[in-house]
Amino acid sequence: MQTTFPRLLLEQARLRPRDTAMREKKYGIWQVTSWADMAQLVEALACGLHQAGIVRGEHVVVVGANRPRLYATMLALQSLGAVPVPLYQDAVATECIFPINNAEVRFAIVEDQEQVDKMLEIRDRCPQLTHIYYDDPRGMRNYEEPGLHALDELVASGGVFATGHPGFFREQIELGEPEDVASLFFTSGTTGNPKGVVHTHANLIDRARAGIAFDRLTAQEEVLAYLPPAWIGQSIFSYAQWLVAGYVVNCPESSGTVTIDMNEVGPTYYFAPPRVFEGLLTNVMIRMEDAGAIKRAMFHYFMKVARRVGPAKMSGRPVGLSDRLLYALGNVLVYRPLRNSLGMSRIRVAYTAGEAIGPDLFTFYRSLGINLKQLYGQTETAVFVCLQPDDQAQADTVGVPCDGVEIKLSEDGEVLVRSPGLLKGYYKDPKATAEVLTEDGWYRTNDAGIIDAQGHLRIIDRVKDVGRLKGGPYDGALFAPKYVENKLKFFSYIKEAVAFGDQREKVCVMINIDFEAVGNWAERRGMPYAGYTDLAQKPQVYELILECVEKVNADLSEDAMLAGSQISRFLVLHKELDADDGELTRTNKVRRGFIGDKYRVLVDALYEGRSEQFIETQVKFEDGRTTTVSATLKIGDARTFSTMKGAA
Amino acid sequence: MAEAPGKRTHWDFNWRSANGFKGGTMAFFLETLLGGLMAGMLYSLVALGFVLIFKASGVFNFAQGAMVLFAALAMARFAEWAPAWFGFESKFLANLIAFALAAALMFVLAWLIERLVLRHLVNQEAATLLMATLGITYFIDGLGQTIFGSDIYRIDVGMPKDPAFVLESVFEGGVLVNLEDVYAACLAALLVALLSLFFQKTVTGRALRAVADDHQAAQSIGIPLNGIWVVVWCVAGIVALVAGIIWGSKLGVQFSLTTVALRALPVIILGGLTSVPGAIIGGLIIGVGEKLSEVYLGPYIGGGIEIWFAYALALVFLLFRPQGLFGEKIIDRV
Amino acid sequence: MSKKIGDVILDVQNISLRFGGVKALTDISFNVREREIRSIIGPNGAGKSSMLNCINGVYQPQEGSIVFRGQTFSQMNSRQVAEMGIARTFQNLALFKGMSVVDNIMTGRNLRIKSNLFMQAIRNPFGIGGAQREEEQHREFVEHIIDFLEIQAYRKTPVGQLSYGLQKRVDLGRALAMEPKVLLLDEPMAGMNLEEKQDMSRFILDVNDEFGTTVVLIEHDMGVVMDISDRVVVLDYGRKIGDGTPEEVRSNDEVIRAYLGTTN
Repeated sequence: MQTTFPRLLLEQARLRPRDTAMREKKYGIWQVTSWADMAQLVEALACGLHQAGIVRGEHVVVVGANRPRLYATMLALQSLGAVPVPLYQDAVATECIFPINNAEVRFAIVEDQEQVDKMLEIRDRCPQLTHIYYDDPRGMRNYEEPGLHALDELVASGGVFATGHPGFFREQIELGEPEDVASLFFTSGTTGNPKGVVHTHANLIDRARAGIAFDRLTAQEEVLAYLPPAWIGQSIFSYAQWLVAGYVVNCPESSGTVTIDMNEVGPTYYFAPPRVFEGLLTNVMIRMEDAGAIKRAMFHYFMKVARRVGPAKMSGRPVGLSDRLLYALGNVLVYRPLRNSLGMSRIRVAYTAGEAIGPDLFTFYRSLGINLKQLYGQTETAVFVCLQPDDQAQADTVGVPCDGVEIKLSEDGEVLVRSPGLLKGYYKDPKATAEVLTEDGWYRTNDAGIIDAQGHLRIIDRVKDVGRLKGGPYDGALFAPKYVENKLKFFSYIKEAVAFGDQREKVCVMINIDFEAVGNWAERRGMPYAGYTDLAQKPQVYELILECVEKVNADLSEDAMLAGSQISRFLVLHKELDADDGELTRTNKVRRGFIGDKYRVLVDALYEGRSEQFIETQVKFEDGRTTTVSATLKIGDARTFSTMKGAA
Repeated sequence: MAEAPGKRTHWDFNWRSANGFKGGTMAFFLETLLGGLMAGMLYSLVALGFVLIFKASGVFNFAQGAMVLFAALAMARFAEWAPAWFGFESKFLANLIAFALAAALMFVLAWLIERLVLRHLVNQEAATLLMATLGITYFIDGLGQTIFGSDIYRIDVGMPKDPAFVLESVFEGGVLVNLEDVYAACLAALLVALLSLFFQKTVTGRALRAVADDHQAAQSIGIPLNGIWVVVWCVAGIVALVAGIIWGSKLGVQFSLTTVALRALPVIILGGLTSVPGAIIGGLIIGVGEKLSEVYLGPYIGGGIEIWFAYALALVFLLFRPQGLFGEKIIDRV
Repeated sequence: MSKKIGDVILDVQNISLRFGGVKALTDISFNVREREIRSIIGPNGAGKSSMLNCINGVYQPQEGSIVFRGQTFSQMNSRQVAEMGIARTFQNLALFKGMSVVDNIMTGRNLRIKSNLFMQAIRNPFGIGGAQREEEQHREFVEHIIDFLEIQAYRKTPVGQLSYGLQKRVDLGRALAMEPKVLLLDEPMAGMNLEEKQDMSRFILDVNDEFGTTVVLIEHDMGVVMDISDRVVVLDYGRKIGDGTPEEVRSNDEVIRAYLGTTN
């Protein structure tokens, strides 16, 4: 039963015309658009766009936050057989040039003055971009540039046209085929120009359905659309699945009000990247630190109960009577109020994805009774590849393949995916397409993973970063630096970690302590210290970090494929890794190669088995001044654990 | 205290009743607590008058006590005179008319105070304003006696005088409750609820809060300070009237009613001069504290605690938390 | 950008103001045209705030008169000035700190509420029926201001808890709620960082542009003002030393001397 998005819209408008399709908070009130209203708005927009000269197959950029009228515009474009190309609303103007020129875009439909300014700024470098429409007229009064119009005008003239040509809209929709291109999503590669990922209606709708079936989503779900619509995840949750399931999508008032709006909406189906969950948890913790002693004690006590009982309860495992009672009490006193203040009291299904999530963070939400799970997918796969079933959610896996998906691992550990949701290709880039799509229809994810005994996929690193040990007891074993580093970073005392081991006989790690967490830890023990360098070199801190390292080793040893990545030796760095010193990228990712070169003496000391090493480093301040930091670093050995096979 | 402890243990609830003192029973504790809460509610009512005026105009209105007496006098005498003036018998109608007239009189008084006194003292020192209200106190005292006479009058608004027993199924002998107190407390609670609605939900209420926060800014957006002050004094007048009716029907309308205002001082210190909920909770704490201390501590350190307990508590607060429980901490911005 | 600047709306004629023996303003005259942004600048102690307070009715000048929309006023208090359609913001934030953002801005609607406060309190103490509907209309107006100033996230927050920059915005919002003909801004950018200053400049320009509100702006810092003003008056030691477009003022010798000689 293949269909297209505009046909789905007509279907929903027929099934539930009076039901709410979208809500948008404006002037402090949730304004409702019903499915019938939505269909009417889309018809008017489609007619208006047709009159303005949109032709079948052409690409049109849509830039802005989650606004019902922008989603309606995408539907209108698809009704006419045109292809909406959503761009990130926070991209700078120059970043928009390539997509616009690459997709030969003539029309831009944007949210507000800010986006209009951006389009006008690049107009002389995108000569074909002749039409710009804006949704919000605020501040637009004095713009007199040619080709610039309000979306309101389009809706008005389109409405008139629609009355004059009652059959037009439906005829246009009937012309569209499921195999037509539905959308173009530009992904920013780390190098070179972004690539336009081509998806058809059939692709996206198939994946949307798979996700809906997996979690048994219904028309009763409430979704909060707060991430950029240009990100395919948002497009799936608040567009593709919205049209398939017929649930309600809520658009927040502004980016600043998301927390308040989330509280008011109480979504039942929710997605957030790990950093959002982390931020929310931090807020809770800060509030608790400020709370009275009784409240704080109650919180900590019941969170301990929750950590013990919650995960078992969520996975449907049996729980003792006294624990059940305690949990019920905790639910009344702590968990329910907390869920409520997080705006998560109605959540049935919550997902996180994109980066590894710390086990403590993951367990926190699950033990509160929030059904947080992980999924795995990419823009190229139209999101849904693997999902965690409700009772099998774990912090270190990303779930089992969902409906229609086949996965397998290549020789070098790369995850390969075959699914009805795979991209048709990169727009105008057959070479890049050939690199990721094999002839027999497999998509190369570039992710290295393993599949565990329960059939769950576990992602360990990017393929290009995965190395091999050479020599030593684990000769030829897989070495996944990011996996090791992430495991270390999940301890609150460790801020950054840099793992070495490719083409070497063992794994060694440099660690950055978290100044705040370790500082607090030291203060609680009455340990005096004078600044970062001093604290980092305290023998007690070494012991603390050693404990973390050995826990990671114990964990790694449980997996035959990763046992070789156990950490043999480590040191605690005397200075914080800093983007200003070139050690981190601007997005705070460690630059392993750069660090390896800069601290060559330390790397050598680690591998040559020395027990300490003197180092002197230049540090650059924000204002450009420099100073040097020097210290004699102690290098420690960590216990490693043998696997089943026995080694180490 | 001469009771013989003997073999009696502390969980024997009625061990003191042999001496005619039943301080040990749960029921008696509840009685005392309830009595305290009722009395506290009435303190709150008077304290509220102070807080309202202080918040809106920064004036510590020393005349609040005098206003209570004046309102009570008006109520008592109008109720007496109304049947003769209008030629009817109904006591209910007489009380109703008396209330309306007394309220109107309080409005006129409020208007006069603003017109004749406050308007001319805008932006004066707090001490000057306090002295002015002292003057107003004596003026109102005199005026009240001139118009209404200086005897002891009665207010009878039909509040039941008989005590009642409640919760008889739970406690042996039940809990003794003074119904008059219950009615009075309900009336006071109703008034407080109406006032907070008025302050939170209405345009005038919002303007009042605005003036309380910042005079200059309020004026710049066109809120008439004079008008607001009249409204505030009217509200304070109504509060005084209700307090006067309640206290008056309990104690009789006489000069000692003005000292009720003195009882409210510790309440304000406790609750904070700028907080309406503070006035209410402060009143309740003092009411309950007085009664409980009298009953449970009295036997050990001698009677009469009721008289000084509130002031002692207020002193403690002045030392450790001068802004009161709910008052705004005064922190100057750097 | 083509803006229609109209006739003189506010005319300040030969104003002198003394406090005791101290001369705060000496013979100051200037006018403000409809829909323009008119700035009064000058070093600290130049008499800018005194000038604003005269227009606002806080001070009554000993000499001279102020003509607003053809009406001369001399002995007026700030409430009467507000009634005539002049709103102001404050240099040292005079917000109602205990009240929420919405309530603060709602107070700006007071003059627009039909019956006077006292009668409203008597006639309809709890805002039922018609008053409720009227309240809703005012609330809707306030919501547009909240949207305009992009403070939706703080509607219910007590103003005292907001950052300085946001409080300044609420102050502006309260003044806007009065739908004033002339908006007096007393150092709206004092104490702000660069980004906050840019935001505030944008709001001032938008107010002027979208609502056609005439803006009289006092600033100590010349930089931002020069970019957004149509005409500038420069005061120094209570005297007017310059008046004209930003370019004219910038090249005025006396102005340069005043600025170089005192602050910068």
